[in-house]
Amino acid sequence: MRSAALPYSTCAYCQSLLLRDGLELQDIGKVAVLPPDVSPIQLGTSLRVEGLTLTVVGRVRWGWDNGSWNEWLLDAGDGSERWLGEAMGAFMLTAARADLRELPMIQGFATGGEIAVGARLTVEGITLVAIDRKEARCLGSEGELPFPTLPGRSMTNIDFRGPNREAVSLQRDARGASVWLGYYSDLASLAPANLRTIEGWSIPRELTR
Amino acid sequence: MNAVRNIACPNCGGALEVRAAGFSVNLACAYCGSLLDVSRPEVVLIEAHDKAAKGFRLAPGARGTLFDVEWETVGALRRRDLGYSWEEYLLFNPYAGYRWLVLSDREWQFGTMLLDLPEGNDDTVSWRGERFTRDGDASTSETTAVLGEFYWRVRAGDTVEAMLYERGDTVLSREGGGGEVNWTQLVPVEDDVIAQAFGLGRLKAHRAVREPSPSSGSSSSTANDLPTMFGLACAAIVALLLAMVLISGPVERASASIDAPFAATREGVRIGTLTVRRPWQFVTVTARGTDFDNRWVDLDYSLVDRATGQSMDGYGIVEHYSGRDSDGSWTEGSRKGTTLLGRVPRGTYDLYVDASAHGWPSDPSPQISGWSSLPETVTVSIEAETGSLPWGNWWTAAVLLFAFPCIAVWRQYREENGR
Repeated sequence: MRSAALPYSTCAYCQSLLLRDGLELQDIGKVAVLPPDVSPIQLGTSLRVEGLTLTVVGRVRWGWDNGSWNEWLLDAGDGSERWLGEAMGAFMLTAARADLRELPMIQGFATGGEIAVGARLTVEGITLVAIDRKEARCLGSEGELPFPTLPGRSMTNIDFRGPNREAVSLQRDARGASVWLGYYSDLASLAPANLRTIEGWSIPRELTR
Repeated sequence: MNAVRNIACPNCGGALEVRAAGFSVNLACAYCGSLLDVSRPEVVLIEAHDKAAKGFRLAPGARGTLFDVEWETVGALRRRDLGYSWEEYLLFNPYAGYRWLVLSDREWQFGTMLLDLPEGNDDTVSWRGERFTRDGDASTSETTAVLGEFYWRVRAGDTVEAMLYERGDTVLSREGGGGEVNWTQLVPVEDDVIAQAFGLGRLKAHRAVREPSPSSGSSSSTANDLPTMFGLACAAIVALLLAMVLISGPVERASASIDAPFAATREGVRIGTLTVRRPWQFVTVTARGTDFDNRWVDLDYSLVDRATGQSMDGYGIVEHYSGRDSDGSWTEGSRKGTTLLGRVPRGTYDLYVDASAHGWPSDPSPQISGWSSLPETVTVSIEAETGSLPWGNWWTAAVLLFAFPCIAVWRQYREENGR
């Protein structure tokens, strides 16, 4: 239990999802067993970006019609909520930007409106294009999490991409809408440490620090 | 933890490995070629096939170190656009993600998908401060064969719009349409390097040297396919001829001549008897006239089966015209006419001919002919033959077989000289 701010935790042994309520722990159900994958990230992996050390404390795996992806919850020690999205061998590092919910397009999305692929969104002078829209459902989780990850949880995710790796992600679920701002990156640029050891593979030199 | 997920092909039962578990969504079975959905814990058959794609230079599972990183080949695609065909290999390293190897015209390119997108218009784009200019026109390419696993829903028949931009020997490829556009940077890699990295034999030296390269894109492979194309066409046409000779069967002939009257039809002249000794044979009927001019003779053939009385009919013509106009003298038509009767079943046949002659521009009158007592006729000799070869079919096949390589040569010539 590293972070008292995160109310949900997945038991690594019995897949129970535990809700922390003061000093009480409440078992609120079982999460799905995570399907096997060859992600280089694991709970405890740390990243060093912009002078911050970000430690992976939780993971949610989302599935959609044509695949699945990982979202790794990062603890920066400053109470901010950051995620490392991992799909197709590439990464997207984002932080919550509640203030962007004021943008008209996002306000519309938050109240159930649609955003088509190809739509343009301007944030801080940078124009981003919506490159995909997915209806996703939770496939499983591990570690500590800010929301319950029971089977059946679903969300709408729209990814925007800017000309120079800029990324904006909009998510909408039963709780409402959230806005995530960040950038696409390869793993090496995130200066990772404590990567997962994968049988049959050696960690490239550029990824060790 | 084991990096490989073991599954069984639901179509053929073959034992398969998912090498990029969690990323791969489609897998084409190495044994039967069936397309499988491996995105979920349960493997689902998307499309059953009974033959795996073959002939790829790198097999799924092949590993090699390029640019200091070890890569495992996880997927292989064959793609083509109008006239060109090339191979694309998906490389994977769990720590470094995905890369591409493109093998086109015996040249390799290493591809990295871009996260920072080039900006510009259809003719030039800039990327990381450098200008790239368009190479060739936009083209649509189609995936024709799939082997191994992919992180998207690949299948044979997929098409994608592509445009290439180049600067020096670096190529930026823009693929996609609609909302999602993917940019890939392609840099050349020597075949020696690939061969050494993946433990392969070297590709044969170029027979046709292409310097400077007329279209050094990821999707050009022209010169060195041509000898193969012509060779295959030649082999096919010779094989077809041999097959025709083999199945044509024994030859039997019958011949006679017929005097065709004007303004009337001479009917039912028997030419002779033919026996078809194979289940099916071709019969050709050749008509020859001599020395007539500005005349034509219509010939109706009936090949009558003695056993059943059923008749197979054909039509022939011999014609010859001449004259003189502002361009000088001219002749037209042929005094010889060949008619092919196909699929004549085994049996004994009598060939009968009806013939009528015609004059051009009008039938000759007895006065002009000079023999008022004898009606003028045109004599046509008829020869029928079993076991003949359908030369028309053969020539059609030849034209069709050589048309494609010839178009390719023409396109290449135009590319080399036209730009």
